[in-house]
Amino acid sequence: MKHFRWLICLLAVLALVAAACGGNDDDDSDAATLAAAPTEASDSMDDGLGDDSIDDDMGDDSIDDDMGEDSMDDGLGDDSNAGPVATQEPEVDPCEAVDLEASDIGITEDTITVLVMADVGSPLSPGLFQGSMDGVNAWADHVNAEGGLACRQVEVVEHDSAINPTETTNGFLLACESAFAMVGTTVLFGLETTDLQSCPDAGGNEVGVPDFAYIATEPPHQCSVVTFATARPNSACPYSGSGPRTVQSQIGPVQWVMDNVTPDLSGLFLVPSDLPSTITSTMPQARAMASIGVDFHSVPGISGFTTQSEYGAFIQIMRDNNSNFAYTGSDGESMLKWRSEAEAQGLDADSIIWMCSLSCYTPDFLEAGDVVEGTYSWGWYLPFHETEYNQELADFIEAIDTDFPPAWAAGAWAGGVLLEQIVDEIVAESGPNGLTRQAVLDKARSLTSFDVNGWWGPADYATTQNIIPCFVLSQVQNGAFVRVYPEEPGELACSPESVVEHTRDWAADFGG
Amino acid sequence: MILGLRPPVALAALLAAMAAVVIAVFNWKGAPVTGQTFLVTTYIGLFLGALWAMYATGLVVVYTTTGVFNFAQGAIGVFAAFLYWELHVNRGWHSILALFVVVGLFAPALGVLLDVVIMRRLRTASLVVQLMVTVAIMVLLLSVVGDIWEADTPRRVPYLFGIENGIDLGPSQLPWHRLIVFLVAVAIAVAMRYLLRRTRIGTAMRAVVDNRELAALNGARPNAVSSTSWALGSMLGALGGILIAPELGLDPATLNNVVIIAFAAAAFGALRNLPMAVVGAMLIGLLRAHTGAWLDFGPDYRFAHLSIAPLILLFVVIALPQARLEVGRLAHNLRRHERFTKWWEGLIGCGVIILAAVALSGGWLDFGIWDPGAWGSRELNSANEAMAFALIGLSLVPLIGWAGQINFAPLAFAGFGAFVYLKLAGDTGDGYWILLVGLLCAPLGALVALPAARLRGLYLALMTMAFAQAMSLIFFPHSWILPTIGVGRQFPHIELFGVTFDDRRGFFLLIVSVFAVFVYALVLLRRSRYGRRWMAVNDSQAASATLGIPVVWTKVVVYALSAAMAGIAGVFWATVSGNVDSVQGFDLLIGFNIVLLVAAAGVSIPVAGIFLIFIPLFTGLGHRLEDTGNVDFLVTLLEIMTTYGPGLMVLGMVFNPRGAIFEMGRGFSPLLPWRSDARAEIAAENAQKREPEIGELGIERPFTPEEVIAIDRRLGILDDVVPKEGYGSARS
Repeated sequence: MKHFRWLICLLAVLALVAAACGGNDDDDSDAATLAAAPTEASDSMDDGLGDDSIDDDMGDDSIDDDMGEDSMDDGLGDDSNAGPVATQEPEVDPCEAVDLEASDIGITEDTITVLVMADVGSPLSPGLFQGSMDGVNAWADHVNAEGGLACRQVEVVEHDSAINPTETTNGFLLACESAFAMVGTTVLFGLETTDLQSCPDAGGNEVGVPDFAYIATEPPHQCSVVTFATARPNSACPYSGSGPRTVQSQIGPVQWVMDNVTPDLSGLFLVPSDLPSTITSTMPQARAMASIGVDFHSVPGISGFTTQSEYGAFIQIMRDNNSNFAYTGSDGESMLKWRSEAEAQGLDADSIIWMCSLSCYTPDFLEAGDVVEGTYSWGWYLPFHETEYNQELADFIEAIDTDFPPAWAAGAWAGGVLLEQIVDEIVAESGPNGLTRQAVLDKARSLTSFDVNGWWGPADYATTQNIIPCFVLSQVQNGAFVRVYPEEPGELACSPESVVEHTRDWAADFGG
Repeated sequence: MILGLRPPVALAALLAAMAAVVIAVFNWKGAPVTGQTFLVTTYIGLFLGALWAMYATGLVVVYTTTGVFNFAQGAIGVFAAFLYWELHVNRGWHSILALFVVVGLFAPALGVLLDVVIMRRLRTASLVVQLMVTVAIMVLLLSVVGDIWEADTPRRVPYLFGIENGIDLGPSQLPWHRLIVFLVAVAIAVAMRYLLRRTRIGTAMRAVVDNRELAALNGARPNAVSSTSWALGSMLGALGGILIAPELGLDPATLNNVVIIAFAAAAFGALRNLPMAVVGAMLIGLLRAHTGAWLDFGPDYRFAHLSIAPLILLFVVIALPQARLEVGRLAHNLRRHERFTKWWEGLIGCGVIILAAVALSGGWLDFGIWDPGAWGSRELNSANEAMAFALIGLSLVPLIGWAGQINFAPLAFAGFGAFVYLKLAGDTGDGYWILLVGLLCAPLGALVALPAARLRGLYLALMTMAFAQAMSLIFFPHSWILPTIGVGRQFPHIELFGVTFDDRRGFFLLIVSVFAVFVYALVLLRRSRYGRRWMAVNDSQAASATLGIPVVWTKVVVYALSAAMAGIAGVFWATVSGNVDSVQGFDLLIGFNIVLLVAAAGVSIPVAGIFLIFIPLFTGLGHRLEDTGNVDFLVTLLEIMTTYGPGLMVLGMVFNPRGAIFEMGRGFSPLLPWRSDARAEIAAENAQKREPEIGELGIERPFTPEEVIAIDRRLGILDDVVPKEGYGSARS
C-alpha cells in the first residue's frame, strides 16, 4: 500500500507540474464561448467590467452589442494549453524528498482534515443541504483515490449546523480547532463569522480558517476575509449591511432571448422576500434586466408561505398587460406554482418566456411534467449530462453516484477542487510542508481565475464583486433540460458584456 | 346593539375598518381594478378560505365536544399530507384509495389513539397542562414527519381534482378543483352543524363536555363520544392538510403554520360557532387575496399580508365576551400545599448553581468512567445560548406558574429587549444599559396585560400567540429594528464593571450569575405579599377581589415583571448570537419550545428555567461523543432525545402535571437534614396509602355494582327502591 501511495504521489506531482506549466496567460476573450476541456482553460476576465456600471433608472440603459450574433462564436477550445500530464518529466518527488510534518492545524504527517458544514439536521427540514456533505465526501474519496492532497489523505469531518446560528458558530469553532480548511459550507445563518476569521493557526497567529464555501448568503459571511464561496456573492465588500452596494449581474441569457426569440420583453420578476439577503441578492438581477430593455410591470415579493392560488394575482397582471416574460428569482417550486396557476387560469403559457436560474435545474422540477415544458434555466457551469466534454464533470458525476445531483453537491465539489488547486500550487512552490492556512489564504486572495478545470465559467476570487461572466442556457423540452445556447455541447458563453454592474440600496429598491 | 354587536365591539370594529382603509390608501399598488381581476381575486380568496375553514371546522368540533383546543390540528394535517403523498405519489396508489386510507382509516385511528392514550387522562387536568400537551403532540408529530420523510427529497402533492379544466369566466376560468373544495368545505361545515345540533350523537357530544357524569347518567357513553369527536376532528385536519398541500408544497413548517389562520377563523366563531368560523375563514381568505392583488407594503412590512390572520385573532380574542371560558379546573388541579423556600435555602441553592457551573465548565468534575474535561469553545457557546433561553424561561415562572397567565410570547418580549438595548447601547456593549432595558420592557408587558386582564385560559393563550406572531411578522423584520450588518457583531460583547466579557467562559459565568440572582429574587418574591397575591388571583379571581386584591393591577404588575425579565434575558440571548436573524430568530416554534420545557420542568418553581439547558447539553454531549468516536449508538440516542425530548417530557405532564423538577424536589428534600416537614409529608402519604386498603379487609378487588346491590339486598337495605334487575332498569 505504501508503495502504491508513492506511485500515486508521483503521478499527482506530475499532474501538478504539468498544470503549473500550462499557465493562464491568455487574455483574449472579450466575447467568447468557452470550450470546456479536461484540463484548465482559464481566461482572465479582468477587462471591461469596471466600465459597465449603470447607475440610472430601470429601462434607460441597454447593452448594445448583439451577443447572439457576434459574440459567442469564438471557441476557446484551442486555448486550453494544459497539455497531457504524462508528457512532463518529474525532477523530484516532493512526497519522497521530505519528511512530512504537521505543518498547521488539521494537518498530520498522513492526513489533511477538512470540515464540511451544512444545514442538514433541522427537525423540520432534515436532509436539507445533505448534498453539500455528499459532494465533499465524494471529492475527498476521489482525491484520495488519485493519491491524496499534498502527499496526504483527505479526511472529512461533517458538522450539521441545523439551520441554527449557534450551531453554525460551533461549526466555525470546530473547524478552527480541528480542520485545516472548510469545504462546501452551505449554511443560511452565517451571521457571526468572527470566530472563523480570527481563528489562530498552529503558530498562534489569528489568520482564520480558509472557507471554500458553496454559498455565502449573509453579508458577514460574504465579506469574511477567509471565505471564498464558489457560488460567487457578486457583491462588493466590505459592506456595512445597509445602504448602497455594488452588485454585478448576468444578463446574457435574457439578452440572448431578446436577440433570438423576441426583442420586446415585458412582464414580471418575482423576488423571494422572506429574508433581507434574498431581496438584496435578487433585486440587482431585475434591475440589470430592466437596464437592457425588459419592461417589468411589477417586481412583487413572494414568500414560502405564498399559496399557488395567490400567484393568481400575478397572472392577472400578466393578462392585463399582455406580458410575455416571467422570471422568478426564487426556487423551482415558485416557478412551478406560477406556471401551474397560469394553467389553472387559462393563460396561454406558450406565448410567454418563463425563466429562472439554477434554482429550477433539478430533477424534481422536471417531474412536474408538461406544466413546466418550455421553461428556460440558466447556469454558470456545464449541464450534468455533458460528462463526455469535461473530465472534472465526469469525475464528479461518477463519484457522486447519481446522474442529476443537487446543485449543493456540485458547489461543494467545486470548493474541494479549489482547495486542491491552491494546495497543489503551494506544494509545487514550497513543498508539502509549506502548507499552512496562511499560505492557502494568500493564494486564494490572489486567485483571479478559477474554472473548476473547465467545468464552470472562470471566477475571480480576488474580489467578491465580480460575477462569473459565463452562462449556458437550457430549456425544458420533452421533459428534459436541453441546451439552447451555446448550441455546442461542452461550451459556455462568456463575455464581459453580459455582465452589468449597479450600485444601489437594494432593500429600498424593492417595492414589496 | 349595532348590527348585533355590543357598542364597544362595534366601535372597535369601526376603528379597525377605518385603519384598514387608511392602510389600503397609503399602500395602493396602482394596478388597474378590472371586473375580471376582482372576480378572480375574490374566488381565489373564497377558495383559500374554504381550505382554512376545514381546519377551523375540525378545531371547533373537537373544542365543542371535548373542551380541548387542539394545537396539534395542523400537525395532524401535515402528517396526513405526507402519508397521502407516500401512498399516492411514491407508491402509486389511486388517489381515491389513498385518500380513503388516510382520511377514512388513518386519521380517525390517530384521533382515537390520541383520545385513549392521552386526552382522556387530561379530563381533569388544568388548562395549562391541556394546552401544553396538545402543543407537545404538535411538536412530536412534526418531528416524526421530519424523520420519516427527510427534506432532501422534494415532494409534491397533486391537486385532487386537477386544475386544468373548469368553468369559463371570460379570459379566465374557475378550476373544478377549487369549486369542489369550496362546496365540500361548506358542506362539511353544514353537516357538522347538523350533527352537533340535530342528532342524538351530537347532543351527546355537547352534553359530555358540559357534564360528563350527568351525560353518562342519561345514557351517553362519554368515552365513545370523546373518541368520536377526536376521530372527526382528526379526519377534518387530515382532509385539510391533503387539500392545502398542493397549494403550499410539502414543507412541514409551512403547512403547520396554516393552523394559525384556522385559529383566527375558529376564534371568529367564538371557538364554538361553526358557521361563524367558516365565515371567519372566508373573510381571512378574501383579505389575503385582495391584499396581495392591490397593495404593496414595501420591504419593511413585506409580511403584512401574512399578518392578517394573527391580527384578526388578536382583535377577535380581545373583543369576544369571555363568560363561557371561565375555567374552574385550574384552581382545582393546581391546589397547592405550598412550602415557601426560606431565604437562606435560596441563597444556598443559588450558590450551588454558580459553583456547579464553575466546576462543570472548568472540568473539575470527573465521573470516573468518563471525565468530560474542561468545556471547549463549542460547549461554552451552546451553554451560553442555553442559559440565555433559561433566563427567558425564568420570566414565565411568575407569569404562568404563579399568576396562571399563559404566555406564548416570551421570545417577543426578549426580542423587544434586544431591540431596546441595541438602540440604547449601540455598538458600545455598555452593560449598565441592561437595567434600563428591563425598565423599558416592563411597559410593553403592561400594555399586553391590559387586554389580557379580562382574558383567562385559552383566550389568553391565543392572544399571546397572536401577539408573538404579529411581532415576528411586522415588528422585528423592520430594517430599523434589528438592522443587518456586514462586518463584526450586531451586538458587541457586554462590558460591565470595566470588564469586557468577550471570553466565552467569562460570559458563561456572568450569565449563570444573572440566572442565579434572578432565581433568588423570585424565591424572595414568592415569599412576599405580591407573590402570594399572584397565586391567589390564579386560584380564584372572585375570591381575590372579595379579599380586596386589585385583580387587574396585580395582573399588570406580573406581566410587567415578566416582560422586564424577558427583555433583560433578550440582551444576553442577542449577545450570545452576536447577530440576531430578524426573521427566523423569532419563529413561533422556538417560543413554543421554551414554554413547553419550562412547563415540563414545573413552571411554578423558579429553578425550572434550568431545564432549558438540557437540549443544548445533549447536543454538546453528542459533540463530545462524536469526537471520541465509536459511540454511534449513544450519539443516535442523544439525537433522538434532542429531537423528541421536549415533546416527550411534556407528555409526561399527563401523569405528573406539576412538572419534573417538582417531583425531583419531593424525592430529594427528605434527604436534607432540616427538612423534617418533607419527611413528615412522605410518612403521612405512606400512612394514608395504607389506611383504606381493601386488601386488609380480606378482599382482593373492589365490589362491582351488581355485588353492591346484592349485598344491600341481603342486608335488607335497598329492597324498597332497587328492583331485582338493578339500578339501570329501575331508571328505564
